[in-house]
Parts: sequence; C-alpha cells; structure tokens
Amino acid sequence: MTSVSTRSIVWARRRRSWKQLGDQFWRSRTGMLGLAIFVTFAALALAAPMLFDSSQLDVTKATGGVYESPTARYWLGTDDAGRNVLALVVWGARISLLVGLCATVLSMFIGTAVGIASGHFRGLIGGILDRLIDWFLVIPFLPLAIVLATVLGKSLLNIIIVIGVTSWPATARLIRAQTLSVEGRPYLERAKALGAGDLHQMTRHVLPNVMPLVLANTTLAVSISILSETTLSFLGLGDPTAVSWGTILDDAFSTGAISAGAWWYLAAPGVCVVLVVLAFNLVGRALEDILDPREAAQ
Amino acid sequence: MALISGPDTARSSSPGRRGVVGPGVRYGLSRLLSAVGTFIFVILFNFFLFRLLPGDPISLYTRGRDVDPEIKRQLQARFNAPISEQFFAYIKNPFVPELPSQRFSAPVWDVIGPRIWPTLLLVGTATVLATVFGVWLGIRSAWKRGRRFDKVATTVTLVLYSMPEFWFGMILLIVFSVGVFGIPGIFPVGGLSTPGVDIGTLAGMADIAWHLALPVFTLTVIYLAEYSLVMRASLIDEMGADYLRTARAKGLREADVRRRHAVPNALLPTTTLIFLNLGFVVGGAITIEYVFSVAGLGSLTVLALRGPDIPLLQTLFLLFSAAVIVANLVADLLYARLDPRVRT
Amino acid sequence: MAYRPARLVTVILFVLGLLLPAGVPAGAAPAKSVFTVGVTQDVDSLNPFVGVTAAAYEIFQMVYPTLTEYGAKDFSIQPGLAESWTESPDKTFWTYKIRPGLKWSDGVPLTAKDAAYTFNRIINGTFEKVNYGSYVGNITKAEAPDDTTLILRVDKPSPIMEKLAVYILPEHVYSTIDETAIQSFKDEPTDGKPVVGAGPYLTAERQVGQFTRMVANPDFYRGKPAVDEVVFKFYANPDALGQALRKGEIDYADGMEANVFDSLADVPNIKRLSAVYSGFNELAFNTGAATVDNKPIGDGNPLLKDKRLREAIGWSIDRKALVEKVLGGHGSVGSTLIPPMYADWHLSPPNEVSYDPDKARALLDAAGYPVGPNGIRQDATGAPLKFRLFGRSDKAASKKAVEFIKNYLADIGVETTVTLIAEDALTEKIGQGEYDMFEWGWVVEPDPDYQLSTFTCDKRSYEDGGSIVANLSDSFYCNPEYDALFTAQSTETDPAKHIEIVKQMQQILYDDWPYAITYYYDNLVAYRSDRFEGFIPQPAPDGSYLFQYGTWTYENLKPVQAADSGQASSGSSPAMIGGIVAAVALLGGLTMLLLRRRRTAGADDRE
Repeated sequence: MTSVSTRSIVWARRRRSWKQLGDQFWRSRTGMLGLAIFVTFAALALAAPMLFDSSQLDVTKATGGVYESPTARYWLGTDDAGRNVLALVVWGARISLLVGLCATVLSMFIGTAVGIASGHFRGLIGGILDRLIDWFLVIPFLPLAIVLATVLGKSLLNIIIVIGVTSWPATARLIRAQTLSVEGRPYLERAKALGAGDLHQMTRHVLPNVMPLVLANTTLAVSISILSETTLSFLGLGDPTAVSWGTILDDAFSTGAISAGAWWYLAAPGVCVVLVVLAFNLVGRALEDILDPREAAQ
Repeated sequence: MALISGPDTARSSSPGRRGVVGPGVRYGLSRLLSAVGTFIFVILFNFFLFRLLPGDPISLYTRGRDVDPEIKRQLQARFNAPISEQFFAYIKNPFVPELPSQRFSAPVWDVIGPRIWPTLLLVGTATVLATVFGVWLGIRSAWKRGRRFDKVATTVTLVLYSMPEFWFGMILLIVFSVGVFGIPGIFPVGGLSTPGVDIGTLAGMADIAWHLALPVFTLTVIYLAEYSLVMRASLIDEMGADYLRTARAKGLREADVRRRHAVPNALLPTTTLIFLNLGFVVGGAITIEYVFSVAGLGSLTVLALRGPDIPLLQTLFLLFSAAVIVANLVADLLYARLDPRVRT
Repeated sequence: MAYRPARLVTVILFVLGLLLPAGVPAGAAPAKSVFTVGVTQDVDSLNPFVGVTAAAYEIFQMVYPTLTEYGAKDFSIQPGLAESWTESPDKTFWTYKIRPGLKWSDGVPLTAKDAAYTFNRIINGTFEKVNYGSYVGNITKAEAPDDTTLILRVDKPSPIMEKLAVYILPEHVYSTIDETAIQSFKDEPTDGKPVVGAGPYLTAERQVGQFTRMVANPDFYRGKPAVDEVVFKFYANPDALGQALRKGEIDYADGMEANVFDSLADVPNIKRLSAVYSGFNELAFNTGAATVDNKPIGDGNPLLKDKRLREAIGWSIDRKALVEKVLGGHGSVGSTLIPPMYADWHLSPPNEVSYDPDKARALLDAAGYPVGPNGIRQDATGAPLKFRLFGRSDKAASKKAVEFIKNYLADIGVETTVTLIAEDALTEKIGQGEYDMFEWGWVVEPDPDYQLSTFTCDKRSYEDGGSIVANLSDSFYCNPEYDALFTAQSTETDPAKHIEIVKQMQQILYDDWPYAITYYYDNLVAYRSDRFEGFIPQPAPDGSYLFQYGTWTYENLKPVQAADSGQASSGSSPAMIGGIVAAVALLGGLTMLLLRRRRTAGADDRE
C-alpha cells in the first residue's frame, strides 16, 4: 500500500493544473505562434558564434564597403564601417534577449516579493510597502531610467539593474491584488489557525496560487524589458562596446543612415525587436486568456 | 506600458467612520495627501540620487575652461558644505538648482521655459487624438468581437504596441521625409517651424502644424494601440457583467445595452489605466522629440544626458514626475466623481 | 441631438474659408534674401563672456568688432577697428589708431573709449577673464585719451598685442550690467529691436534650441552686406542636417558627418568641400601626473614615464588607415602640434615616424620590454604593459579610433582596456591624473600661444583648499627647457624669430611624445551652389568658408539671381498648404468618425 501524504496530493493536484495549462496553451494558436517566434530567435542567439565569427563585429576587421545595400554576400547589407549587418543583428539578439530576460528576472523577483509581502502583512509594514509601490508607480519610467543610468554609468550590468529597478512596481501591484484575493480564501485561515508562520504562508500557500499569474505577467514583463533596453541603448545609455539591437539603431541614427538611404540598417534591428516583443505579448495574452476566469466565460 | 489587466480593486480608500466631512471630500483629500506624499518622496529621491554621482562636480562645471581660481574656490565652498546644509538649501526650492545648466551656461529655467509649449503641443495633440481614435477602435473591436474587423484591428494594434515608437518615427522619416522607393519626401525633416515665420500668425501656426504632422502622427498611432487594446479588454469584461444580463433579460436591445451601460462603465477603468500609463506618454515624448528634432523638453532631456548636465537633468526629472503626479491626482478625482463606489 | 450633416459641413467650410486667405503666399511682401546655415551645435549663449561654442563665436565676430583681423588668404594681420598700431620704443605700451566717425547700430558713436572700457573690464574683472584672460595676461591698463586713440599698457613685450581677439563692446550698454548681472545676461534682442553692435550683422531673434536670426547692419563701415539676413539653424542629428540641405531648408551645412557628406556626392546644385581645418586628434599619455608643486596625483601607470615606450607606440599606429577608416579619407596624417593649415607655423619634422610595427617592436626590445609568456610585454620586474585607454562615448569617430589603436598596440605586445566615457567625465579623470591614455583632439587658434601653453609646467593641475583642481594640461608634461622657450616666444615680437622658437618647441614635443598626434581632420561642408555665391575660403584655396577667424564670406556673399525663388518665406508657402492639408485631414477624420457612429447607431436602432 502506498502512503499518500497531504503533500503528495497537493503536488499531484498542482501538476495536473499545470498540465491543464499546458494543454490549453498548446491549443491557443496565437500563443503557439508567439512561442515559435521566441524559440527561433533564442536559437539564433545561442547559435550566433557558430553562424558568424565574432571578428565580424570588429570595426578594424570590416570587409565590406560603407553602407552597401543587400547583396548575395551580405544579405542585410553593411553598416557605416563595412560590417555585415546580418551578423550584427544576430549577435545583437544575444545582448537584447539576455538583458531583457535578466532584467525581467530581477524585476519579477523584487516585484513578487514586495507584492506578496505588502498583500500579506497588514499594519505598518504592509502600509509602507503599499506606499512604496504607489510612489514608484507614479514616477515616469524613462526619466527615472535616464537619471539612474547616468548615475550608475554605462555597462550591461547597470542597464539590467536600471530596468529591473524601474519595472518592478507594475508587477508588485498586480501580485498584491492577487495576494489579497488569495488571502481571503478559507484554507489559508485554516493554515493560520494551525500555526503556520508568515513565511510558510507566503511561500507555501500564496506563492503557488499566484504563480500562474506571475508567469503570464513575466512574459509581458520581458517584452517591456526588451523595449526598455532598446530605448535606453538608442539614447546612448547602453554599454557602448556591446552590440544590441538598440545600439545598432543608435549607430544608424547618429551616422547618417537615413540620409544615405540605408533602410536595411534601420529596418533589420527594428523588425527583430517588433517580432520578439510581439512574440512575448502573444504568449502573455494567451496565458492571461487561459487563466482569467472572466475571459473564459465569454 | 500597461499590462493588460482589469482595474485594481485594492486601490479603494480604506473604510472609516462617517464624520462631518462627506465621503467625496474625504476621498479627495486623501488622494491629495497621497499625491503630496509621492511628491515629497520624489524630491528626497532626487536629492540623494545625485549626491551619489561619483567625481568632482566642479570640474564638470568648469569643463576645461581657463576659469579663474577665485571662481573655482567659490564653487568649492558651495559644494563642500555639510550635507545637512546642502539639503536645506535644496529644500527651500527644489525646483531651482544652485548651479546653472552646464551645457547652456544659463539658469536652468531659462533653458526649460521656452521648451514647455512645444512638448505640451506635441504630446497633448497626440494624446487627445489617440484617446479619441483609440477608444473608438477599442469599442468597435469589442462590438464586433471575433469578426474580421476585430481580428485585423487587434493584430494591427498588437504589432504597433510591440514597436519602439522612435523606430516607427525613423521609418516614417525615411519614407515620407527623405522618400524611398519612389515615394516623394514632402514632410520636413524636423524642427518646429521655419525660421523667420512669425509663429503668432495663422500662417505661423500652420507652419508649426506642418512640422509637427509626422511626430504627432507617430505618437498618436503608438499611443492609440495601447488605448484601443485596453478599451477593448475593458468593454469585453464589462459586457459579461451580471447586471447587463439582467438588463438584456428585461428586454433592452443589445445596442442600447452597449451604448448606455457597458461603454460608460467600461470607460472608467480605461481612463484609470490611461492615466496610470502617463509615464509611457512622457517616454514617447522624449524619444520622438529627439528623432524629429523638436525643441521641447524631451529633446532637452536627451541633450542633458549627453553631458551629463546634472542641474538640468535633476530639474527635468522633477518636472516630469510632478506632471505625472498631478495628472494622476486629477484622474483619481475625476474617477471619484464618475464612480460613486470608489468614494465610500 | 439630431443628425445634422449640413451643420457640420458648414462649419468646416467656414474654417477653411478663414484659413485660405492667410494661405495666400505673401506676394506683396518685398523679396528678402536669407542665407540659412545649418549647424549641429547650437549657440550656448549670446553673451560674449559666456558663450564658447563655435556658433557663438561666429555670432560674436559678426556683431562686435575687434582691433585687428586675420586676412582671408593667409591669416596675415589686417586692420579692423584699428586702422594702424605701433609699439612704443620702450616696449611698455601699444598705441592703436581707431577709425573715426563710426557708430553703433543704435546711433551712439563707436570710439576708442568703448575699446578702453572693454579691456579694462576684462583686466579688472574675474568672470570676464574666463574667455579672454589669455589675451590680457600682460596688459595692465587701457586708456583712451581721445576718441580715436587707444593705449594699452603692458608689463612685458607681447606679440599677441597685434592679435587681440577681444570683442569690443558698447560701453553704453555694458556699463549698466554689473559684475554679477553679467553672468546671467543673455544679450538677446528685446522689444523687437536687434542687439546693439557694429559688425556686418546684428542678432535680431533667437529661439533657443532652434535658430538664431541675424539682420544686416546698414551702418557697417565696410558697407552693408548684400544678403539681408543670416539664420543659424540647429539640427540635433547629422541626418537631419543633410536632408535639410537637400530639401532646401538650409543653404549651407557646416561640420557634416562623413557619411552624410559622402551621400551628397552627386546631388545637382549641391557643392561640397572637404576644407582643411585647424584641428587635430591625438593619443595622449599620462607622462607622470603631478600638481604644479610637483606632488604626484592620480594612478597613472608609471611605465608611461619612459619616453622610449611612448615613441614605440608612436611608430605602431597606422595613421593612414585611421584617416581612411575613421575620417572616410577626409583628413591627413598627423605629426606636429600646429596643423599644416597654418603654413607659417607648422613644422614638418625631419624625423617623422611612419607606420612600422617592426621598428616599434625593435624599440621596445631595446628598451628592455621583452615579450612575456602570454604575448604581452613586460618590464624588468615582470610588470605587464597593460594600460587603460579612454575613448569618448559621445563621438562616433573616437569610438572607432580607439578600437583601431587597441588593435595596433596589441600587435606590438601592449595590452589596453578600452573604456568609453562622456567627455565631461573624461575631463574630470584627466584633471585628477586617473588615466593612462586617452583619445581626444584640439582646435588650434591662429596664434599658437594658447596651444603651446597646455604643455607648460604651470598649466598642470593645482591644489586648492584640499582638493585637486584641473587646469589645461592633459599630459602633465613638464620640461624646463620647453618652459623657457615658451616664455621666450610669448615676449618675442619679431615674427621670424617667433616662428623659429615655436618650431623648436614643436620639435621638442615631437621628440618627447606627450602626444602621439594621429590626424588632422577636415571640416566637411556642403552648400547650395544655385542660391548664393561669393564664398571666400580661409586660408586660400581650400579652407573653410564659414566659421573662420573673420567674417569675409558674410561681407562678400550675394544671391545668385536677383529674382530669387520666393526666399521671402523659404518653405512657408508649402508649409502653409501643408498645414491646411493637415488640419483638413484632421477635421475630415473626426467628421467621418462622428458620422459613422451615428449611422451605425441608426442601423442598430432600426433592428
């Protein structure tokens, strides 16, 4: 006879609901499209060193002419230093995706922690955290990011920190609302009566129930992070030695690509950003559709 | 940028005893206090953040010029004052920094002042247009949910929503101002007006309108995407509500249900979400003014960050934050007027 | 409210009716010739004591006279406000004969008293010295015994007395602005009247961040300029500048970016000029940062104190490739401090280096820096030759140049870590001595005194109130022999001897390598050849037409045809029509919106 513990029942139930989520997602056409696009770009980013030698990014080793339009040799033409734009864009995917994902992890981490804590703790701590979320939420993103990036300096790590630190409030607010609704459920009261401590309640009960929404939120947060990185790099606040889609656009804008009619240099990184951000938006919306009961009723 | 989700019920004010002061006024006061609190936080944040800046701020100011040692000494005195002294000097008037703008060698507000109206014009026009067209598109999409109009509209708005606004602006520039693939470039490359044209006259205003056509179009289209998606989601939520089921059961026609009940009620959370995302509007202003060389606060911010011109940057940050705080306060109060549920 | 299409249409027609008459191009207005110059760096301040940008200086020299001027052909000194000048026999004062009968633009006479006032103000002021201190260093007092005589008393003989680039200001305007007020004085036109000046053009309008408009001064003593107005229009990015020229929004584009310049190659009616310029770029070394009291500061790598190491680096840089790849070919290989544009002063060194990595390696071997186990050279104690190299993040050319330099150095076994930072941040690091090498440049004035001074021991950082304050020196070079020559040249009034000393100084710098000068860059300009003619290069034949040391082009420029194509409001007519089109489109869109909503509602209602 197999012993069936409470915990294994709980985990079995959770596994089933995740599987259900997966099945529903599989059936969502737009969600799968988004996932497919993301997987393609992720694969390209990982395969970058094999597809294009890193020397193709070196201005001193550039082989092409200045602003050559797309040819058989250079599928996306060349930039103002004669480098292969296709190589730049593929390598750029690495930084853009990396920064986007890392910044999101940071922002989700802070946001979820603060959101759950502020929803769980009533009284002074909860009140302070509430206020903190509201205050940060109101400060406009780009001026804050510009100011932070100026103070911290231009490096990849700093950009990740800047985006992470400026994007957590939106997540926190959402998580807080969810936490409040979860906290009202009867089984949590029972857990409290049984002597469960704060940390136990938050991590063992609230967090798993909040996770699906966190997941949906994460994918949307990635799209915001990627757009933020592109914007900050475009304004010149990114790491000047790194190649990302945003820095390519900054180069294009400041070296006269528009005048030279080098549309390929402008279009390629932009289209990539749109596709990747769209991919995450589609996935996120599909997840939200599945998880939000009000949507399901329609 | 908004995450598409419903209105946040946790924002309601806390319940309290009914006192002499009515609920509406109490709510208004509490929102006002909250706004003031946020503003104080921003001021403190601004002060301490810039003190973190590494390096000697004086050399940033004198920038390799042959400045008299006497002047340098005066500046040092100001900077080496104890933090508490500096703090009090700052608090007296946080909006006017002690030092003038480094880049322009002029008091900060002399530089900022003339640039306010172009930004207001650009952003105001775009926001109004985007709200009108975006709300209309959202409503229409929700009405015709699932049909071809909705599918096309939602796809297009999703793609636009995923686009960096400055990239869209650059593409429009290349197509309509430079002219590629045979399309003639008729729009100006940037700027606010043609020199020599008196902007006070009708001809001058038309000149400005012509220069702002592309940037306003860019911002409108990008903002519109978000507003339309939000409105659509709001309305779809609303149309499934119980009270409407009752209305339909009582025999009210679908069109009336939509027009008289669903849409006005759905407008409320939409308005809230729109105001909450004013930060997004500010961000758009910064990058689009940069791309189109419009001499407003946004392009000034980009110039300031290139230095970095610390006094200018500090003041601009305060200004933007204050504007968004005020706008949010207005939104809260408006929301309270329109939705009595919130006030109690 | 009932559906009233008629009402809506009437309103639209009414509004259009209002706009149309305003849209009729100002055919009745007199045709005005306007020369529009596009710049990528805006005027920072019109106050001659505050402004430092190129556009600001251009405007100062258009509005205010100077005692002497630099000729267009070859920078030879010519009379300006002063018709003639002499040095006293005992060399203690100079006498200038001021042109008689001159007036400021508001009618007040322009006399020697204005000049004396200006000089005394600078001599006695602190703030006023920021921009002009280097000229009045030796002047003790200015006097104007009568309206046409100016006397400047000096405490040392000084060759700079012939080339005082001090703008003479109207005493009746500036004497009302005191020492504190001058710091925030804008010097912008008020009450719709142009600024008071005496040069060929006067400032008439300024929109910060957009443009500055100048109008011709009818009282200019060399004659009213033929072109009625000059407008300096600011473009934040190089693309916009190029496009503006193509579309005719501007007539002249200065300081163009190489790619944009090249893209204008075969455009009809646009002429381009890669003008020789007075600027150079260099790789600068920290030769041993210390204050004027010889107290060491900062954390520069001590290995760079070895001149042989710096010389080896000098041989390892392919300057031709830098000109090709970084400047797009628009420049020339760099050598000595004073650019070849100043033909009299420039020294062609007999021992000029070339691109020779083998020689560089041989030099390093001989100097005791063998190649270490990992390919990086090291000194006798095993310390690796690893240096910090700073580039400027806001200049695309600097970013590229440091990449190349990094590679060249790696090629001879010297490792560098490249960091790109903003120019202001770099200034700060330099002042504190916290660097090893960096890439930057200078623009050299016709008188080499200022440039030469940056290498004197006196111009190193100094200590004040417990902190280190930066001065002009960015290599911390200090050589008593050089300083002695500097003092000699600053008091040598014989031109030939002066040149000789300066050339000696350049040779010393070339041999001691505080800088490895990489290239002299050209100033890329383009202009509409079908609109204006009469451009005068300085120096002849291929120097810049504008932003010179002088206003020669502005005084000589005239429109190509008398019947100019609606220059009155250049671009405002299509702008007018465009504005109306935009407004109509807007109204049309909103109308359609309203109409359709009504129609749809109607259809539903009929269900």
